[in-house]
Amino acid sequence: MDDTPNAHELFLFLASTAHDMKNSISVLSGTLERLLVDASPRTESAYPQMAHMLYQTKRLNDNLMQLLALYKQVGTPAYPFDVQPLELSHLVDQVVSMERVLLQSRGIHLELDCDPRLIWHFDEDLVVGVLSHAINNAVHYTCDRVRLAIREQDGWLELRVEDNGPGYPPALLKAGEIATRETAGGVSFLTNSAGLGLYFSSEVAKMHRHRGRHGTLRLENGGRYGGGCFILRLP
Amino acid sequence: MNAAAQPVATPLLSVTPGSIDQVDWADKHYLVVDDFVGVRQLLRESLRSLGAKNIDQASSGGEAMGLLARTRYDVVLCDYNLGDGKNGQQVLEEARVRNLVNPSTAWLMVSAEKSVESVMGAAEHQPDAYLIKPITEGVLLSRLNRVWRKKQVFRMIDQACAEKDYLRAARLCDDQIAVDKVHELDLLRMKARLMERSGQPTRAREVYERVLEQREYQWARAGLAKIRLANGEFEQARQAFQGVIAENRYYIDAYDQLALSYQHMGKLEEACAILERAAKLSPNSVTRQRNLGNLALKLGNMQMAEKAFRKCIAIGEYSIMKTPDAYLGLARVCGQKNDPKEALQLLLLAQREFVHEHADIQLRAKITEGLVYHESGDYRRARKAGDDLDAMLKASPARPDIPTCLELATLLFAVGVKEGPVELLRYVIRNNHDNPLLLDEVQKIFDKARMQEEGLAMIRASKKEAADLMNQGVLLWKTGKLGEAVAWMRNARKAVPNNQRILFNAAQVMVSCLQQQGYDAALAAEAYEILHHVDHLLPGQQRFAQLMEQLAQLQPAVEKGGLAAVA
Repeated sequence: MDDTPNAHELFLFLASTAHDMKNSISVLSGTLERLLVDASPRTESAYPQMAHMLYQTKRLNDNLMQLLALYKQVGTPAYPFDVQPLELSHLVDQVVSMERVLLQSRGIHLELDCDPRLIWHFDEDLVVGVLSHAINNAVHYTCDRVRLAIREQDGWLELRVEDNGPGYPPALLKAGEIATRETAGGVSFLTNSAGLGLYFSSEVAKMHRHRGRHGTLRLENGGRYGGGCFILRLP
Repeated sequence: MNAAAQPVATPLLSVTPGSIDQVDWADKHYLVVDDFVGVRQLLRESLRSLGAKNIDQASSGGEAMGLLARTRYDVVLCDYNLGDGKNGQQVLEEARVRNLVNPSTAWLMVSAEKSVESVMGAAEHQPDAYLIKPITEGVLLSRLNRVWRKKQVFRMIDQACAEKDYLRAARLCDDQIAVDKVHELDLLRMKARLMERSGQPTRAREVYERVLEQREYQWARAGLAKIRLANGEFEQARQAFQGVIAENRYYIDAYDQLALSYQHMGKLEEACAILERAAKLSPNSVTRQRNLGNLALKLGNMQMAEKAFRKCIAIGEYSIMKTPDAYLGLARVCGQKNDPKEALQLLLLAQREFVHEHADIQLRAKITEGLVYHESGDYRRARKAGDDLDAMLKASPARPDIPTCLELATLLFAVGVKEGPVELLRYVIRNNHDNPLLLDEVQKIFDKARMQEEGLAMIRASKKEAADLMNQGVLLWKTGKLGEAVAWMRNARKAVPNNQRILFNAAQVMVSCLQQQGYDAALAAEAYEILHHVDHLLPGQQRFAQLMEQLAQLQPAVEKGGLAAVA
């Protein structure tokens, strides 16, 4: 984006519009979650549709959050990056509480595997965003089970979101490869709808640096259930 | 938790270890501030399902202030963007400055996207947490619990801080660090700050280095750089702050400190450019806009100065941090732009706006008036302002802060008033007899007024006068005449009310007296009053921290609870 007065005004306009959209999405997803918690598939004939609405609302929010964090100036960290130490229990708590209603409404089982006492250093808001995005994505590919596994390995924190579906299609794996390449800019947002989320996630990975190493993102098929695996590694 | 295949419908906090110490959220008082009714309702519903009964709501900053003035809330959920009027940060600042919230109040700031302000690190008034929309019930509960737990960990430390017993607070930090891995970094950061406030930069540096052994935290790097800055190692400080910005260009505090480093090196252009960049990233800081305006004014960049001062006034409209400096500075700009009429209007406005908060506003407005006339070449009116100022000095024994005194003396000499400024500078020397840099500055003012010899003699005499006052008191103290020493220092304090050396020695003599002759509440209160006065003159001195600790330890155990009232 050019640094002209026009661009600046456009930026202000976009920022205030985004702020407003966030309010609407807040109310939308909050209301849907409340309705779903109070309802059950037996009493509510529109239950599956409501669950699908929640899924779509979450996608909207993911995309909006990612755009807000990225569009200002792609390639440079235009986001106020803020690393803090955090117990994994607090990270998992938040991801679970964001995804609980959606997963339940779709009849999907969430399996957790991590040491809740382990402390790691990262930007909480970003990593929560990436993980819930990955789970929202897994909702699309899974059969009926999603596994969130976090462990420390050789000085890295490995965060895996696995599902028991048939695995990611080749196009997505390819997109993952492109989006997570060392050099930025290879991603085509126009031809691949998954591109934005992957690009965002790999940017988040790269922002996390420690002693000359930076985080990475990988997509593959396999894991415990042979389905899609979304793997974020943080130094 | 490694048990696989947990059912999804488990309670929200099943993941949290040690959730036995669950907080009871039902009986707390809540305030929800958001300009969007839908979000208010949503948050209220979420709080209700935690069992909350007492939930107040406000749709604007002004409304929130009204409620905060009436009720002591346990939890405040406040949106950052509140439309016209005060924003969330300004509500927080005013609530804290006006003591409308308890130290135990949990303040959660809500925003649509992550704000630059949230990583400012060293900003004076930080909320306890930032939440990004959309906020689900589970996330809210999770964050509330975390904030509450941290508040509990810091409760005793905050209490010691409120009593300004920084050394006790630091010991409490050490105790916690040993047992609390989760809050280790927060505690270390607190301890480093306490060491700085106690005038012990070496120990603060040890803490920062210990943090950096773990992780490259920019606040620790910035902390090290600040210590260099305070030590006068300006070039090293500059490099270090630039390093912090290179790592995280949103660490705004580093910009302010970098500008300060440049200023100390005499590189005002560079300082100004840095502040301008910082003001672009985070434009809503009254203090930053004021500093930028003052620097631009010094550099003669009237356009930038005007813009900064006007912005400063605009933000200040809704902020408790608003400052007369912006009005006075803008008046100077108007004067230089040959518009003395608007300058005078601004000065009137400043006197009206700040009559309650700033006792010396009349004097400062008059000084600015004199400067405006002097700089625009109207020497007759400048002289008239000088005579008015001279009369004001004669009418009241109160004196403004040292920089204002120097500015005033310079102006008076320039417009041809002789006696008043000499008296004023005598006051400056007597109250700062052991500050060689300041003595040099005063000498320069005399030199400029072609009164070199007279200045030299006056400085020497006033310096000796203050030194004699102090030495006599110290002699009485060292020879064991404690009662006489206390009486002497009491008189010395009357003669030179703002001399830090004498004030510290006065407090020291009183502490000795309490130690040797037993506790006396009136004398202890007097010592506290003196120490708080010195701390107000120049915060962060080691002797302040030490004497505060000694005084607190002298307090008989039964009266410990009353300590806060004295502080």
